[in-house]
Amino acid sequence: MMSSNNIITKNDLNKMAVNMGSLGMEFSWNYLGQMNLAFGLMMNPILKKIYKDDPEGYKEALIRHCEFFNITPQFAPFVGGIVASMEESHKKGEVDAQSISSIKTALMGPLSGIGDSIFLGCIRIIALGVGIALALEGNILGPILYFLIYNIPAFALRFYGANKGYEIGFKYLSEMQQNGMMDKLMYGAGILGIMVIGCMSKDMVWTGIALEFGSQDSLTSLQSVFDSILPGLVGLSVTWFYYYLLNKKVNPIIIILGTIIFGIFGVYIGLLG
Amino acid sequence: MFIAFILALIAALGVMDYQFGTLYIFRPIVLGTLTGIVLNDVNQGLIIGATLELFFMGAVSIGAYIPPDVIVGGVLATAFAITTGSGAEVAITLAMPIALVSAAVGNLLDALSPVLLSIADKAAKDGDDKKIVIIHWILGLLNVGRRFFLVFFAYWIGVDKVSLLLNIIPSYIIDGMGAAAGLLPALGLAMLMRMILNKKIIPFYFLGFALAAFLNVSVLGTAILGLILVIVKFGFNETGMVLNNNTINEKVGEDDEF
Repeated sequence: MMSSNNIITKNDLNKMAVNMGSLGMEFSWNYLGQMNLAFGLMMNPILKKIYKDDPEGYKEALIRHCEFFNITPQFAPFVGGIVASMEESHKKGEVDAQSISSIKTALMGPLSGIGDSIFLGCIRIIALGVGIALALEGNILGPILYFLIYNIPAFALRFYGANKGYEIGFKYLSEMQQNGMMDKLMYGAGILGIMVIGCMSKDMVWTGIALEFGSQDSLTSLQSVFDSILPGLVGLSVTWFYYYLLNKKVNPIIIILGTIIFGIFGVYIGLLG
Repeated sequence: MFIAFILALIAALGVMDYQFGTLYIFRPIVLGTLTGIVLNDVNQGLIIGATLELFFMGAVSIGAYIPPDVIVGGVLATAFAITTGSGAEVAITLAMPIALVSAAVGNLLDALSPVLLSIADKAAKDGDDKKIVIIHWILGLLNVGRRFFLVFFAYWIGVDKVSLLLNIIPSYIIDGMGAAAGLLPALGLAMLMRMILNKKIIPFYFLGFALAAFLNVSVLGTAILGLILVIVKFGFNETGMVLNNNTINEKVGEDDEF
């Protein structure tokens, strides 16, 4: 818990949540180290403060935090908060350096899992659903709402995460993992995300089937038959077909090209319109 | 040429998003709109941007594949479609080839990164944080520059030729691309499903679908209903249960594949 003899202040943590490294987490992304430089830069001001009378300790810490790192960017300050509290303990001789690195590594997987579910799989999809519907009508509020819906939670989490991470340290996090709280959060984000994805399978997949049958006077399109059975049947089937292909490890680029060829061929023979 | 320069700046802004905190303004829904504003047709910018956004929904870096370049693809395709006075179908036709070429160019440039990284490693050993800052910016600005020049030259040189090209392309190809664009959002959804779907949450997929299909509930409406459902299901609104409840210990996450 925060106590008066800690040298890292709330102000330091809030700055860390939005400093050059933290915001630029994906700017210097590279295959080898991924977010390594940005993470090092995010920690840098705090490391400088902790090791201000210990240049060797500072160098070691800087090397430690320029190692491979990858996470959902909005969760990086949370890891930063935890690392800050551990570095502080390390300076006091309470935690060894190896365990800081291993905890960072241990956090990447689960937090990216939660983070991608919440931000890419849930909030982004909600933001897009709202934004695209408006933008397609030519309403400028579309991109604006999209931006706000995505970024207000993103920045709230940056600040909250930096402070919470520091406050709780790693101990509490493993407790959360043990009592199932992490799983519940991921489960909850999963439910919310998948409901929105289900909703969008109906709304956002729109290719019509132009094929018509019947005599001149009583033309019935195949599309309207499908719609009368189950609205959005095409979207539903196509989504699950793609899901099946992805599960079979078919490269998305191949799927995209295949769909384009199918689309052109379909229009050519009059199946699609 | 002035317009080419401004469009290139929009693409550069898109890459700078990665330094601004990954605000997701690099997506076509935002950059397409900005392109529309620059070309004095906000309405088309919005519509084309939103259409391309759906088209590229699967172009997110999940897993190990390199997604097509939505930044260059989004800006150039929107700009070409608006200047030639054509619609979203044309934008889609142009966007994918452009995006794939740009991603390929990016792969070539990435060959430089190991050299730069070794400089950064050395700097960390010396405790030289300024040098790390510099490498961080060089790595990022390489991407900014690549997109800037691609958009600048492609628009400057290409804008006249695109309308010629569009006259040659048979209409069924453009319509076919439009049809494909209607299907491809499903790929984006499927990629997200690969990421989050497991046996436990499958019913909720169909709940969301049914709400939309039979009751015409919007995305936001579905999200709100979903949020209420989650809060009630896990008792997030009951104080005190969050920390110390070991009895409701549902294990999930073991069954991603099925």
